[in-house]
Amino acid sequence: MNNVIQKGWRPTSVLILLLLFWELSSRWMGIPEWLLPAPTAIVQEGISGWSAYAPHLFSTIRLTLTGFTIGSAVGLAVATLLHLIPKVREAVYPLLILSQNIPIIVLAPLLVIWFGFGVLPKLIIIVLVCFFPIAVATMDGFRQTKNEYIHYMKMAGATQSQIFRKVEWPYALPSIFSGLKISATYSVMGAVISEWLGANKGIGVYMTLASSSFRTDRVFVAIFFIMMLSLLFFLLITQLEKWATRWKGENARG
Amino acid sequence: MAKLNIDHVNKSFGDNLVLKDLAFDVKEEEFVSIIGPSGSGKSTLFHLIGGLYEPDDGMIQLDGKRINGQKGAISYMPQSPSLLPWRTLLENVVLGAEIHGKMEEKTAKSMIQKAGLSGFEHSYPHELSGGMQQRASFIRSLLSPQSLICLDEPFSALDEFTRLEMQKWLLDTWEQHQRSILFITHNIEEALYLSDRIILLSDRPATVQREFKVPFTRPRDPSIVLTEEFLKMKQTIHSELKVLL
Ligand SMILES: Nc1ncnc2c1ncn2[C@@H]1O[C@H](COP(=O)(O)OP(=O)(O)OP(=O)(O)O)[C@@H](O)[C@H]1O
Ligand SMILES: [Mg+2]
Repeated sequence: MNNVIQKGWRPTSVLILLLLFWELSSRWMGIPEWLLPAPTAIVQEGISGWSAYAPHLFSTIRLTLTGFTIGSAVGLAVATLLHLIPKVREAVYPLLILSQNIPIIVLAPLLVIWFGFGVLPKLIIIVLVCFFPIAVATMDGFRQTKNEYIHYMKMAGATQSQIFRKVEWPYALPSIFSGLKISATYSVMGAVISEWLGANKGIGVYMTLASSSFRTDRVFVAIFFIMMLSLLFFLLITQLEKWATRWKGENARG
Repeated sequence: MAKLNIDHVNKSFGDNLVLKDLAFDVKEEEFVSIIGPSGSGKSTLFHLIGGLYEPDDGMIQLDGKRINGQKGAISYMPQSPSLLPWRTLLENVVLGAEIHGKMEEKTAKSMIQKAGLSGFEHSYPHELSGGMQQRASFIRSLLSPQSLICLDEPFSALDEFTRLEMQKWLLDTWEQHQRSILFITHNIEEALYLSDRIILLSDRPATVQREFKVPFTRPRDPSIVLTEEFLKMKQTIHSELKVLL
């Protein structure tokens, strides 16, 4: 706790100074509200407008979680499959890496053409952005498993599935979690962007509406919640990771 | 019939010929030690017996059956403890048995106690010292169900006192359960105290340089290491080893 205070006071004070500067300049320098509203105005809107944007917020959270869950499951499944069947891996892995260079977002218009404006294309976008980091990180984790452990297991007569379940899977857990953390942030972003493409609910929709009516304060409220969502999601997974890899102790991977 | 028969085995890694025409056997319920220069190929021999690699030439037989490249035939303790970091000590020592669908938790607990590790059942490997990890790995091999135990320098990280205890314990278990043991060590005294026969390997490529029959009767008392006969044998082996180095 002391450590947090010691390390945290500098950035915190910079942040407070910035906010103060922002607040004062919007008050005294006559910056119009629609260009840059004062922080206090944003907070006010955030409190009074809750009932207006809460449904949007919950809709985005649901979309994010659904997409993230499906995306992670698909990523883990694909990684497992590719790892256990080397022939398939040799054929598919290079393509997988190559495809990481396509910004998924540019596929969005295509998805809308194919699947319309329903939930499906949105889920597909989120699944696509989540899937790559998890699949790649998981496969790397599997492949990096220390030979020492695999050798012991083989000599002890373990089957391939025992080696996978008892050694490769737990060994890859830290890598899997790094993948999950990246995907968690991506999935929030993916959800918002997919909502921009057309939807009737969601924080992305709320944001588009706000900006087209020059309610800049609402845009800021939306941005704030998107940031909070990403952060919370990230923290949640960090906590899960701590619990799942509690065997690691101070010095990583024994 | 021999328990284990190494029948003129060759093994090389690329251009590096490691085992050359290696031949010896281990009889039923026999305790055989292997001594040889560092890097001569002792661990490689175990990897071959365990089926991790196949010999280039020759045959490995267990109970009269060819086991070239066949895994899981021996209970094995690797040179480095190789405990799984996400398993507690207790979960680690039962691994060898678990792979073959056996639950040995009760025996495991009593063995942990015997090895002086009680209180650490639920510790993770990174919380244990090197010597403690080695003892855990040792227990894991004793709990594995196979009848031939291959131990690769099992006591190298232990202090003199703990080592004596472990040796005594190994002899007890061996005498009780009558399994065959193949034992790699650098310590001549240890080999003499424990085994029925000592096989001296040459430097790489390793062949059998000499074999010594250990004449002492069993059960052996730790004090035999001070007898004249013992010291004389130790000296013989020592001078033979010196030729190799
Ligand atoms: N998988 C491998 N690939 C290539 N070379 C190997 C491999 N395993 C062992 N070797 C080589 O085989 C030789 C013997 O190694 P090995 O580990 O069997 O020696 P050792 O007698 O057990 O030595 P030490 O007493 O130091 O443990 C070494 O030259 C080593 O480099
Ligand atoms: Mg060795």
